[in-house]
This record gives sequence, C-alpha cells and structure tokens, in this order.
Amino acid sequence: MIEVDGLSKRFGKTQAVAGLSFRVEAGTITGFLGPNGAGKSTTLRSVLGLVHPDAGSATVLGVPYHELDRPLHRVGAVLEASEVHPGRSGRNHLRVQAAAAGIDGARVDEVLKLVELTAAGKRRVKGYSLGMRQRLGLATALLGDPEVLVLDEPANGLDPAGIRWLRDFLRTLAGEGRTILVSSHVLAEVAQTADHVVIIHRGRLVQQAAIADVLAGAQGGTVVRSPELERLQGVLAAAGANTLSGGDGLVVSLPPERVGELAAANGIVLHELRVEQATLEEVFLELTGGETTQ
Amino acid sequence: MSALVRAELLKIRTIRSWWAYLIAIVLLVGVAVAGDTGSNANARGQVEFQIGLVESAGFAGLLALILGITAVTTEFRHGTVTPTFLAEPGRDRVLVSKAAAGVLTGLLFGALALLVVAAVALPWLSIVGDEIHLGDPDLGTRAAQTLAVSVLWALMGVAIGSVVHSQVAALVGTLVWVFLGETLLWGLFSLLDVDGAVSYLPFRALDGADGTGGEDVLGYWPAVAVSLGWIALLGAAGVWRTRRRDIT
Repeated sequence: MIEVDGLSKRFGKTQAVAGLSFRVEAGTITGFLGPNGAGKSTTLRSVLGLVHPDAGSATVLGVPYHELDRPLHRVGAVLEASEVHPGRSGRNHLRVQAAAAGIDGARVDEVLKLVELTAAGKRRVKGYSLGMRQRLGLATALLGDPEVLVLDEPANGLDPAGIRWLRDFLRTLAGEGRTILVSSHVLAEVAQTADHVVIIHRGRLVQQAAIADVLAGAQGGTVVRSPELERLQGVLAAAGANTLSGGDGLVVSLPPERVGELAAANGIVLHELRVEQATLEEVFLELTGGETTQ
Repeated sequence: MSALVRAELLKIRTIRSWWAYLIAIVLLVGVAVAGDTGSNANARGQVEFQIGLVESAGFAGLLALILGITAVTTEFRHGTVTPTFLAEPGRDRVLVSKAAAGVLTGLLFGALALLVVAAVALPWLSIVGDEIHLGDPDLGTRAAQTLAVSVLWALMGVAIGSVVHSQVAALVGTLVWVFLGETLLWGLFSLLDVDGAVSYLPFRALDGADGTGGEDVLGYWPAVAVSLGWIALLGAAGVWRTRRRDIT
C-alpha cells in the first residue's frame, strides 16, 4: 500500500532520513512514531512526492505519487493545518481543490458537513481555531474519497474534546476499509487508534510491528517512588538505565530487583517499587534511548 | 488542464485582493484620463491626444505584473503549494495553468482599463463638443496593443514568481530591478558605448511592447519578441527551479 525503501534525505547539514524502509499494509491504521525531528514529516512528504529523496524510493499504491492517475481520488493527505490561504474561506479553499482535481462542487458541502464545519465554511480561515483548521485539512483530504489517508500530527494543538473527536473520526474512516498512516509524537493517541506502529528515531527505523506484539514483547517497566528522586535518577542513569519521570515517581527500564539493589547500595529510601505492565510509552522510551517526546 | 486553469482562476478570485486590483485599475486609469482631459482643453479634440488617453490604460500592465508574481509566490508564502502539488503532482502543468490564468486575467485587466478610459473620456468629450476619433485605425491599434501588453506583463509576473518563490523578494526585487537595475545598466552601457543594448533589457522591451515607442530604439514587433524571449527564459528557469524544489 505504502512502501518506503532505503529512503534517505539530507537538508544541509541535517540528515533527516537515513536509509529508512517500511511497509504499510492495506486496511490498517499505522501509527508513525518518533520524537520531534526524527524525520517523520520528511518521510511522509517523500511518500507524497513533495520532497525529492537523495536515495531510495517511496511508493503509494505501488507507484510513485506523481504517477498516480487522479491522485486526490486515491490518496488524501493532511500535512500542516496552516497550509491554507488565511484570506480565503474554508469552503472556497475546498472549492479550489475540488476544481483542480475535477471533483464535483457538491462534494465540497458534503465534506464540510462530515467534519462539522458547515456553519464556519463561509468564514475566512484567518478566524479559524487550530482545531477548525485541522478539520478543514481532513475535509480537504477526504474530497476525493480516497482509499489511503496520510496524516501528519493531526492531533497537534487540539483540545481534549478535539482529540476525542479525531479519534472517533479516524476509527470511522478505518472502519470503512481505508488505509491510514498517521504520524504522531503523542503516544497515547496512537495506542488508542492504531493497530500497527512504525517507530523511527534519527531518520532510521527502530521497530515495525503490530501494537499488540510490540507490547507483548516488551519488558515491563519498573515504577519507583522515592523522596530522593533526583539522586536515584542519577544512580540509575549511571547504571545504564533509561528513566522517565511520571508524577512523583520514575518509570525505569530495569527489573525491580536491580532498582532495589542500586537504591540500597547508595542508601536511597524507596517509598514504592513495583512492576508495571509495559505501555507503548515505555516501549518507545526504550527504543529511542530515553529522549523525551514532548 | 482546463480543470487546473479553472482552479487557478478560482484562487485569484477568492481572496479580497482581487477587488483591490480591480479598484486600483479603475482609480489609476480614471484619475489619469480625467487629469489629462481636464488639463488639455486645446488638444483634446486631436487624434494624438486621444491615443494618449488610451495609453493611460497601461496601468493594467503594472497590476497584471503584480498579480502574476503573487499568483505563484502566495502559494509558497502560505504553504498552499502543498495541496496544489498534491492535487496535481505535475509541477510544470501547475505553472502552465498559472500562466494561462495570468493571460486571461491580463486580458481582463486590460479590457477593464480600456473600459474606464472610454467611460471617462467619451461622455466628457461629448459634453464639451470635441470630435471623437473612435474609428481612427491608429487608436484601435493602440487599444489592441495595450490589451496585448497587459498579457505580457502578467506572463512576466508568473515567470518571475516561478523563479523567485519568496513573495517579498520577488516583489521588491522586481521593483528594484525596474527602477534601479535597468537604469544603472543603462549608465553602464553608455560608458561602454553600447547604448542600444539597453532596449533589450526585459522591462525596457516590455515598455516598447505597448506600441508607444518613445525613446526606445526597438520597434513594436521586435520589442514584443524580446519580451517574449525574456518571459521564455525566466519561465524555463522557473520550471527548472520549481521542479527541483522540496516542498517542506
């Protein structure tokens, strides 16, 4: 469905993507994960023919994007919520896209209704909230009723209600048999919607698997609370563990026995020490070397 | 292709600056014609003077140039180039559609400007009882040339915008080139004793392509040919640049 093979792209001194390969199968929702700057947007833009790779290839539906016949009918994309002329109304933005793709004007009002923007459609985009812009982007992607959707950080800047709406909306779209590739650095979002993940870090593939397999194969994290959290964190880091602060405790990538021994050896008081079932967040943390994602 | 041209025309019409262009043409041409007619009571019955009035419609060219430049650069400024190239990944086709939309808009600007000339001059001249030379062949030719040169200005704008994607750089750069660059080169050419070369500069050529001639040494058709040459050259550079550009 979407196939990335040996993709590399450098911008000046920055190697954005380095020999990345992965596949997205038909009919799945695939979460495309990585910290900010991991190369997600560059990869998605290469898939869509907007960025020319230095090496490797990216195809969608078996061909490079530019070889697709009537591309908006095959692939819909939401890349950045701001890619709309602020002085144009949302409805006119859609009319322009529809005209360019030879899509009937009636479809414009259909997609506006679908993303609940009918009332705001005649207003200029300048006055839209970020959530409204994201929904306008989704409406644009859906104009041609495409079988593949590529979404780059669609949850960015949404309030909790907006995120919930987006989640339900994506589930509905997937339920219609569409293939969805959705990038995010917000893991909870992806864990709740996607069935597969592609995790990249510094432009390279870290893991590609079904979410269930990722979680099953991962070590559980150890949760530890201590009044000397900072010192403990230093000790654990020195022992080569990855740690993640959460509330008044830490999630550590070591078994509880080892954490307890290290604490005892350094005379650190512990208030809690328990194993926790691995979450996607911990897997991600482990795979990407503990770099924070937000 | 016609779908793309329709989309380009829709882009032009669905932002407010469209009305600003039309209002600017009406005001600039209207004021120029009224000023000329009012201050030339003795000459306004002559053919030459009335041809001069038609030349006031040349303001349409300046606005067509700005519209042509912004038709391309607005896409990069606001990022709308992303949806544009998603709908039509053939970037050459997008640029050609923009050029076609520029031709149509240039014609419309020229026609509107001529209409304003007629709307101000005809009633005025009738009221003061001066002879009106509407049937004069030279006047008709000048009107046609004014219309044609608006199209050339629009094409030049699209070509410039496709080379220089930054809106500010394209607009400011063009103004600086027109008012400073070509003048400095004119000075340089004089020093080098090749004064004639100045007529081959892009905007001097465009200036000659409105049929007015003046100090320009190129005749009408050579000026049109040189203008088209520059448009083709810049357009080719623009196609090359736009093809290679990463849309990030």
